[in-house]
Amino acid sequence: MQTKDCLTIYGEQIKSRLLIGSALYPSPDIMTQSIVASGAEIVTVSLRRQQSAAAGDDFWQLIKNTGLKILPNTAGCHSVKEAITLAKMCREVFATDWIKLELIGDDYNLQPDPFALLEATKILINDGFKVLPYCTDDLVLCQRLNELGCEVLMPWGAPIGTGKGLLNSYNLKTIRERLPDTTLIVDAGLGLPSHACQALEMGYDAVLLNSAIAGAGCPITMSRAFKGAVEAGRFAYQAKAMPEKDVAAPSTPTMGMPFWHQQ
Amino acid sequence: MFYNIAVVGFGLAGRLAALELSKLHHVTVFEADDEQTPNSAGKVAAAMLAPLAESVLCEADLALMGLDSMKRWPGIIAELESEVFFQQQGTLVVAHQQDKGDLQSFTQRIKPIAGHSAQALNAQQIAQLEPELANRFNQGLFLPCEGQIDNQAFYKASFTMLNKRKVKCVFNQRVTIKNGEINNRPFDYIIDCRGLGAKSDKPLRGVRGEVARLYAPEVNLTRPVRLMHPRYPIYIAPKPNHEYVIGATEIESQDSGAATVRSTLELLSAAYTVHSGFAEARLLNIQAGLRPAFSDNRPEVSQVGNVISINGLYRHGYMLAPALVAQVVSRIE
Repeated sequence: MQTKDCLTIYGEQIKSRLLIGSALYPSPDIMTQSIVASGAEIVTVSLRRQQSAAAGDDFWQLIKNTGLKILPNTAGCHSVKEAITLAKMCREVFATDWIKLELIGDDYNLQPDPFALLEATKILINDGFKVLPYCTDDLVLCQRLNELGCEVLMPWGAPIGTGKGLLNSYNLKTIRERLPDTTLIVDAGLGLPSHACQALEMGYDAVLLNSAIAGAGCPITMSRAFKGAVEAGRFAYQAKAMPEKDVAAPSTPTMGMPFWHQQ
Repeated sequence: MFYNIAVVGFGLAGRLAALELSKLHHVTVFEADDEQTPNSAGKVAAAMLAPLAESVLCEADLALMGLDSMKRWPGIIAELESEVFFQQQGTLVVAHQQDKGDLQSFTQRIKPIAGHSAQALNAQQIAQLEPELANRFNQGLFLPCEGQIDNQAFYKASFTMLNKRKVKCVFNQRVTIKNGEINNRPFDYIIDCRGLGAKSDKPLRGVRGEVARLYAPEVNLTRPVRLMHPRYPIYIAPKPNHEYVIGATEIESQDSGAATVRSTLELLSAAYTVHSGFAEARLLNIQAGLRPAFSDNRPEVSQVGNVISINGLYRHGYMLAPALVAQVVSRIE
């Protein structure tokens, strides 16, 4: 039973609506401090390039030490087979059935491959995984992923690492409206706290980001900024914004003002 | 005072410490590997001296220490008898048109240190600096204060010099440092330069790096070139005799096994996009090494009794080691 305003991920209640990545920080110390400052309860980790489970252990231990929930990802995978193998390795190493499924279709802008994504999602769900697919902002793709059993969908705001913000807010809004009961997280492409705020304002349940914090001049301070922005956006969504109008309406009524004061 | 000093670890820091201390003291070197020191990060490295470029990632005090080391290198090399290539003609930084955002963000993050800063370049200025890169890049940066060294030559020349000074080097011996002694043998000072060999005593981690060495007679670059790229940022360091070092990957892994196909493809593809002359280059070797690093990625000089440790040089060995070794020497003096 949900009592507070929480994000639901496969039945688990998460208070923070910011999910944070663990790559690209100037040092592991700055990474852990940024993660703590963000207030995030979920941190994403890539297993891809550590060669073996033991080889990456020192680095993972730092992340495990934060005590946060770990969401392993399949960053850098290009084929269904690779992604599935890596997902299984992640399940062993991090003892979790959550997997952020990332399957790259285009090497230059790291655009997800929607076709391979559907195929891999089906196989992983059958194998008992709780899949959080990183996908493009295509409504039909999101519907198909949802039909396969994904309780969480993670459409992009913009290509990974570009910092461009929500490039197609119409698409994102449509997905929100059409899948009202699915947990939706904007993943990738955010650069500014205001981008995260916009995503939450439009009803997205959370944002997932990495470069916007890790690549900032001061990652720890930027982490705080995103924390505040996500909270602001969520409040704004709950508060229901006033409708936009084309004609100015003064906030102080002019009715009753003396004639000589009017033009 | 004349001291009996042990240097443990014959990587870059160990060599510099042994060279410096053997001028006045009796020095014995202990190394766990053979005399080729195949696991030394300093041997695999590209040996760039790049305090401005590195200031993007490291704190300003380390970049300043890099400038200090830069001043020390010519003196260190001058005391060796064989020639070691050292160059301070700056670094050229370039990016392909589609990656200009990465160049911009790199430019914004360079910290001006001690009056040194980066200069923006247009296509014509790039062509003046490196004629073979004419018409390839529209924008770039010049970091005038930077340089590089031929580390393979330095490794050889430093060993030759230590032999000449009759410094005893004990190879293939993994020693224990306990109670200020080495294997129960007393020394006035012990300089612990073991790098990752000290992992059981210090919270170190290895950061894997892979580096390719090429023989490229068709390429004539005269100074190090860095390519900004969202995923494959590389540097190309020209060494004597048309040899080029292309580096380096940076992977949070303790695995020191052979370079992977993926890393090789990334390094070489990126180099090829800078200069097509690399297509016919000969691949001399691709090595992988582990950089010893603390969790803040900063180096540390510390002392417990008569044991002085230098460690955690991470990706800044050549840039920082001379200044750090000078700190050690001043503690002994």
